[in-house]
Amino acid sequence: MLLLVSLAVVSLYMGVYIFERHSLAEIISGIIAQDSSISQSDRFVIMDLRLPRITMGVLIGSALAVSGTCMQGMFKNPLATPDLIGITSGASLFAAITIVLGSSIKPYIPEVFHYSLLSIMAFIGALLTMLLVYRISTTNGKTNVVVMLLCGVAFTALGFAIMGLLIYMSKEEQLRDLTFWNLGSLAGATWTKNAILASIMAVAYILLINKGKALNAMMLGERDAQHLGIPVEKIKKQIVILTALMVGTSVAFAGTIGFVGLIVPYILRLIFKSNYNIILPLSAVMGSVLLLSADTVSRTIAQPSEIPIGILTAFMGAPIFIIILIRSRKSM
Amino acid sequence: MLEAYKISFAHKKHSILENIDVSVKYGELLVIVGPNGAGKSTLLSLLANEAGKNEEPIFFKKKTFEEWDYRDLAHNKAKFSQNNSHDIPLSVKDVVMMGRYPYFQSNPHKKDFEAVQKAMEETDVAYLETRDYNSLSGGEKQRVHLARVLTQLDNEVLNKLVFLDEPLNNLDVLHQHRILHTIKNFTEKGNTAVMVLHDLNLAAQFADTIMLLKKGKVVAHDTPNKVFTKEIISKVYNFPCTVCPNPVNKNPLIIFGT
Repeated sequence: MLLLVSLAVVSLYMGVYIFERHSLAEIISGIIAQDSSISQSDRFVIMDLRLPRITMGVLIGSALAVSGTCMQGMFKNPLATPDLIGITSGASLFAAITIVLGSSIKPYIPEVFHYSLLSIMAFIGALLTMLLVYRISTTNGKTNVVVMLLCGVAFTALGFAIMGLLIYMSKEEQLRDLTFWNLGSLAGATWTKNAILASIMAVAYILLINKGKALNAMMLGERDAQHLGIPVEKIKKQIVILTALMVGTSVAFAGTIGFVGLIVPYILRLIFKSNYNIILPLSAVMGSVLLLSADTVSRTIAQPSEIPIGILTAFMGAPIFIIILIRSRKSM
Repeated sequence: MLEAYKISFAHKKHSILENIDVSVKYGELLVIVGPNGAGKSTLLSLLANEAGKNEEPIFFKKKTFEEWDYRDLAHNKAKFSQNNSHDIPLSVKDVVMMGRYPYFQSNPHKKDFEAVQKAMEETDVAYLETRDYNSLSGGEKQRVHLARVLTQLDNEVLNKLVFLDEPLNNLDVLHQHRILHTIKNFTEKGNTAVMVLHDLNLAAQFADTIMLLKKGKVVAHDTPNKVFTKEIISKVYNFPCTVCPNPVNKNPLIIFGT
């Protein structure tokens, strides 16, 4: 049953992919066959622009959705997503500081390390905010939702303030980079970034994707989960570090693409209730589907320019945020 | 089975439990009773290893909890807690299935479904299996969690231990007795149960031993006949009572206000 559902979703996702490339089918086959009739520019567009971008969309969409689902499980609330509780702000803040202050040392270090530096800094930012939010909002294993959301507001406000200061201080070129961070875009995709992202996600997924049972049990309360033989503290640590890694890297490479971690689990919950055993693995696939379609729309809707993808996801996410608020206002 | 000595617990300088010794034998049904604020739930929670490290070690089957493998431990002991979550957006059978989590990796086996079905019939929630947990009444939720705890210990292991913190809250008379019979059945197979109850007459009827607590101290720890006397009970509860033999089964019968 589970296999069937995931296969259906996977095939849907393949559908989007093929449809999007349909008119270019001959070019692709030409490139694979090393056909010399394919022009250099065509090859470049496919291999160095489109394909890395699509790959990055798939990776980041999946990473953000899984992070969101895991955090919702840990905080036991459907509003706990990286953007709403300030993790994304923390990560992009550290990334922004790295851009502005790190620009002086950039030319002296190799490209791989330069991307790593950015993602390491974003990871540290994400981890710090996550730990702070968790410490502030959770006592004895119970999360105060209002405090959690207000923490997000506070950290986002702090992020805005420092970001404003950085924009005020920065030079022309840095300014463009910073704006890109704030709005989010997959346009900066390269194979190097994808490789870093993919290796981080591989580690995270091996450890996280089978934690559905544990997240379900944690709905009973952490003590009762422990009685069911779930090593709650260990799992919480894994979730904190791995989601911070995934969110941090995503933010470092694509800026703040908001609400993916909110939209995907919300849709899956409508169908499968809160059974993390099902929605955790499915959110990995659904996140890719969502971000890939959003990116395709953002590239095609206002040709020849493109709309920043963060704006699109925010248009989808904000109404869902409001719906969840209305539904849960009694329990808050 | 379970041995603990000199259990003390304090919360913000308020002493809640002082020097309590507990030792429970195989096949014993121990009921902890006492007025509000006696520290019953705290004691149960400490015995069930919820607080983590204790100054004095607690021995379960001659091993401290730290020496146990956590998965093994889940096959050997379970706990029913008093404050169960009211918001679990899952169906009833999914909640009961959580009791089987120590037994499978990602997909439940046939045996797990059978154990779930059996436990749901035992606590009379089988007819609710497809309902949303959140739509149930308090008593029904209570029975769902009891089924979850029962199914967790449905295995081949000998001499299991279950902790129950006021399992009868919100239950009607029929279900109160059904649950107590189920627990009695469980202990008669060599298993052990430690339970907090408020209803002294039910405790007198089902318990093998009674531990009476007041203000964090043990007032009496003995068989129901020795603990439930007019002097002890009226003093501890600070309320007059009469104790007479139950005309049906000769257990002590406590009548308050006389």
